[in-house]
Amino acid sequence: MTQVPELTSTSPTVDQIAPPTAAARRRASLAKIVGELWDSRDLVVQFMLRDIMIRYAQAVMGFAWALVMPLLVVGAGLIFRVVLSTMSNSPIEGVSIASLAAKAVPWAFFSGGLTQATQSLLAHANLIGKVYFPRESIPVASVFSQAPDLVVSLLVALTVVPIVGVSLHATALWVVVLLLLLVVFTIGWALILSCSNLFFRDVKYILQVALNFGVFATPVFFEPQMLGPKGAAIMLALPLSPFIQGMDVAAVRGHSLLEPLVLTSSKGPVTVWSPWMLGYGAVLSIALLVIGLLVFRRASGRFAEMA
Amino acid sequence: MAPILAFDRVWKQFRRGQAHDSLRDLLPAMARRLVGRGPVESKDNARRFWALRDVTFEVKPGEVLGIIGHNGAGKSTALKLLNRIMDPTGGDVRTRGRIGALIEISAGFHQDLTGRQNIYLQGAIMGMRKVELERKFDEIVAFSGVEDFLDTPVKRYSSGMNARLGFSIAAHLEPDILIIDEVLSVGDAAFQQKAFARIKQMATGGAPVVLVSHQLDRIAELCTKAILLDHGSVRAEGTPDHCIKNYLHGMLGDDVRSLNDRRVRFESIVAPNGHAVESGQDLTVIVTGRADIDLPPEGWTPAFRVRDIRTGADVHSVTGFQRSVPFPKNGPFEYELTVQMNVQPGTYQVQAFIWDALTGQEVVHGSSLLVEVIERMPFYSEVQLNSRWRVRGTDAAGSTSAKPSRAEQEMA
Repeated sequence: MTQVPELTSTSPTVDQIAPPTAAARRRASLAKIVGELWDSRDLVVQFMLRDIMIRYAQAVMGFAWALVMPLLVVGAGLIFRVVLSTMSNSPIEGVSIASLAAKAVPWAFFSGGLTQATQSLLAHANLIGKVYFPRESIPVASVFSQAPDLVVSLLVALTVVPIVGVSLHATALWVVVLLLLLVVFTIGWALILSCSNLFFRDVKYILQVALNFGVFATPVFFEPQMLGPKGAAIMLALPLSPFIQGMDVAAVRGHSLLEPLVLTSSKGPVTVWSPWMLGYGAVLSIALLVIGLLVFRRASGRFAEMA
Repeated sequence: MAPILAFDRVWKQFRRGQAHDSLRDLLPAMARRLVGRGPVESKDNARRFWALRDVTFEVKPGEVLGIIGHNGAGKSTALKLLNRIMDPTGGDVRTRGRIGALIEISAGFHQDLTGRQNIYLQGAIMGMRKVELERKFDEIVAFSGVEDFLDTPVKRYSSGMNARLGFSIAAHLEPDILIIDEVLSVGDAAFQQKAFARIKQMATGGAPVVLVSHQLDRIAELCTKAILLDHGSVRAEGTPDHCIKNYLHGMLGDDVRSLNDRRVRFESIVAPNGHAVESGQDLTVIVTGRADIDLPPEGWTPAFRVRDIRTGADVHSVTGFQRSVPFPKNGPFEYELTVQMNVQPGTYQVQAFIWDALTGQEVVHGSSLLVEVIERMPFYSEVQLNSRWRVRGTDAAGSTSAKPSRAEQEMA
């Protein structure tokens, strides 16, 4: 038994030391973040499986639920088109319906994934306050958990396109590239919005409003050629356009994404696709992912206090 | 590389109330600040407090550090900083190696998933790879004892099964650094023994270990050194014994300081038959004091409590009201209390106080003393019922006395 020393008291000295004022922020290189995320890939898979199992186990319709979102988008688009065509007195072509079905795929994924992901961190507030694990895995997994919906909506589109009399070409394989880029793009946004929503709890409402209007700002319901050369150029410059327009060009019009596509309209020739858009979409996706990862990590040290 | 676990002059500040904001409030506030009529920062500062102040320690491989202190002393905050759940406001938290945390061991469970699915989910959250979990799966299940319910959703589990499964997963981590927080009492008595043996095995495995517990006897048993936190500062450090003594000393000191009605004063409390008593035997304490009060307020009554030092919880409290004991009149008073200490061995605090039965509040805190309950006829669980065995139909037939028989010793 050691000699018990005198009762030590450090409180007087503590008051003399100036407490630190600058808040420490987490910093990590991109390579380190990506490495950690890769190391926790099993966790991402577990979160994803859990989300999928819970979502489909609880819904009465099960996997049929995955059909609802893309069908709603197609349905809304059809109504919109019917109104437009009655006003302009021109009939709806089968190609237009095929386009709608193809373009609904990336839109449904983006809006569904982002809605889920934005709330994901807050939904895990309890866990974040208690256990350490790379926090990026939560929003990333909630984007991935939209995968079954994506597959189902893609199958719907692939069924609709031949039904309305449009034949599929080998260029439809571009869809794979487009969707991979779209996943990266969505994850970038998911990282940024999920942590914003932790600090500002009304982000999810703002997102819903933005998504409701966004469907009109992107070429989901519109075809760029309807807007004339200038309008089309503006619409195609919007961040989500390469993925949406690319689906139409590659899967419905059977056109390679490496060739420009010019259509004639009542207002003259309109460029509806340029190979540059592929590069634009790729750069945008990767830039968003990098920014998302860095911003998210920087903020992650404060998550437990926000939650 | 050897694992590292160290706090270097760590400070941590929190803000009271909700930390989050809404953009709806932020944008007008930013606009006001631009115009120069921003909210005053000092109002915000008043809501800030230091949860940790200048805390420094280091745990080397093979060392087990115990952190003790009152609720709110900063123990959990320290663990959260170690575990990288939060970042310090100032100073450095240095760790190297895989951290295994026996904290909130079933926090990641999803109630709708089965036990099997939850093993993989919770295991992944704790940082185990899938291959690792597959390899240890049978062991985890066997340890938890929930084999028959593996494919049942966890929401149908009892809370004990839940905790057992969570503990079993955590207990199969192979961490470089181990952090343990209050998981020493999981499940029933038999499982607690098993869990404690497992923790002991993990803690003495050579990894640096940090342990937080209110169970001071466990700290004394497991730890090689300790620190005592008081309102975020290190008040004592050194051997576990030294810190525990300081902690108990502080607990007793607090009582004297917080006298709040000066009309009744407690002057002394003594245990005339000694401060040590065997489990199940009588303890007598005598408390003396002075009342300067003609007509005591209605509802006031003298009272005693017996508190378990390990858990900080009262195991027994009784008021004079319940025993028709009169309240002291003007002048000196003396009360004698005898209680049967039908409790587990350990340290207990006996305290006299004045209770207001009408408002349900303690109006005068009295002095207290510590008594040591010594082991006699060991038993599991909480209450000493002085159980005795009679065995018939074997060679050992015959009755046994109050002394533990061989059969009893084997049970223990």
